Amino acid sequence: MSTPLIVLIVVALILVLMYNSLVNKKNQVENIFATIDTQLKKRYDLIPNLVASVSKYMEHEKSLLEEVTKLRADANKPNLSDEKKIKLDAQISSALGSLMIAVENYPDLKANENVMHLQRTLNEVEEQISAARRAYNQAVTDYNNAIEMIPTNFMASAMNYTRKQVFEIVEAERKNVNVKELFN
Amino acid sequence: MKSKSELTDFYYKALYPILQDLEKDRKILRSRIISVGTIYTIVFALLIYTVYGSIKDEDVLTWGIFLYVAIGGFIYKFMIKDYTSEFKEKIISPLIDSLEEKLTYHKDLHISEHLFVRSKLFSSPDRTSGNDLVKGEIKNTKIRFSDFHAEKRHRNSKGRDSWSTIFRGLFVVAEFNKNFIGETVVLPDTAQKTFGDLIGNWLQSKNLGRDELVKMDDPEFEKRFVVYSDDQIEARYILSNSIMKKLTTFEKRFGHPLYISFVRNHIHLAVYYNKDMFEPSIFSSLLEYKTAMEYVDTLHLATGIIEELKLNERIWSKV
Repeated sequence: MSTPLIVLIVVALILVLMYNSLVNKKNQVENIFATIDTQLKKRYDLIPNLVASVSKYMEHEKSLLEEVTKLRADANKPNLSDEKKIKLDAQISSALGSLMIAVENYPDLKANENVMHLQRTLNEVEEQISAARRAYNQAVTDYNNAIEMIPTNFMASAMNYTRKQVFEIVEAERKNVNVKELFN
Repeated sequence: MKSKSELTDFYYKALYPILQDLEKDRKILRSRIISVGTIYTIVFALLIYTVYGSIKDEDVLTWGIFLYVAIGGFIYKFMIKDYTSEFKEKIISPLIDSLEEKLTYHKDLHISEHLFVRSKLFSSPDRTSGNDLVKGEIKNTKIRFSDFHAEKRHRNSKGRDSWSTIFRGLFVVAEFNKNFIGETVVLPDTAQKTFGDLIGNWLQSKNLGRDELVKMDDPEFEKRFVVYSDDQIEARYILSNSIMKKLTTFEKRFGHPLYISFVRNHIHLAVYYNKDMFEPSIFSSLLEYKTAMEYVDTLHLATGIIEELKLNERIWSKV
């Protein structure tokens, strides 16, 4: 086999590998985002029950409950962009966090079995969402690295791949982690 | 569950009369071992000297040393057998009972091979042994642990068998506080330590015997461990930020390589160290603080996993 042919085959092979690796990374991001969507849906389904269970007790927190309900309605609208979903997720996380802190101020509510069950389920869903977010951020980081680093960046720009946004940790969650660390 | 200082107190206060009796036995046994050992060494040396004198072959010396160690080890084990058994019944068993009522101790049993294989931490063994099985419940969480030794058989071209160790150390299995379906394995990170981040990471991702590599977002944890799982999201659900911190602390405290897996709603934890857990000391006093602390420490580390990892806290939907 002649040398130019060997060089050509090697170059073609490298290009195919780079192309496949980029497609693989993009699909990984999309695949994990789909899982986040499922988890977020689980959380949206819990919200009406939660609001119904606590609303008659929480007269002073009416505005908070209205905000949670409105955010849920927004999140359920069709054809939302990924960026919009990420933004809404952060807002709902923060609003639900405030709601849970408010529940602490109502002893009757805290002891209510229905609310306790909802809280537990919400806790689990939150953990699952947080895990999915972390997986998504890692996939996005791998993808963003690939489209910015040499040599895959040339291939990525030819394929019109652009940077994707990561989930940012809600300020309230950061605080939660710190508090936990203090006690552990 | 008792704290470490309460356990140490119990060892010294409640077990003291028994310890004193055992200490007498230990001293007698020690001098007996020294005398038998001396006579054995002299007789063996004379025997080798005579045989070597008549054959004059270097192989005699090699075989001689091999036989000396093998027979010597057998005699030693035979001599300490009764004492070991008595020590375990009179000291270790009450120590475990005092730690937690719902724990039972079986000095001759070990973790089943099935659990070892289920953990997916090591390759399947051809021969297993072990002892000092402790099982039961701590704070409503099921736990069992024991000394465990797993070996693989190798057959050479002449059909002779030799054995190599797959794992030797403490093996713990406990219920996990979250439900999960997939399998997640956490191993000591040797590749990244040896070859650096870039090549190490690439090598880890090419481990064909394992599931997908999961890159974790805790730098300290990522430096010490490598994670493989069949589910990227579930691996992160199990390995939350707080559990990663706790496992890192746990590894530092053990000071031995730590292998962890999450399979079938259980955590499997293997601590690799070439020492039996609750064997009595023959050449140091049972009344010495250091000796006592070794037993208490081992017991506390093994059972401490429940409290350290907060496995008893069911804040999630799992009841």
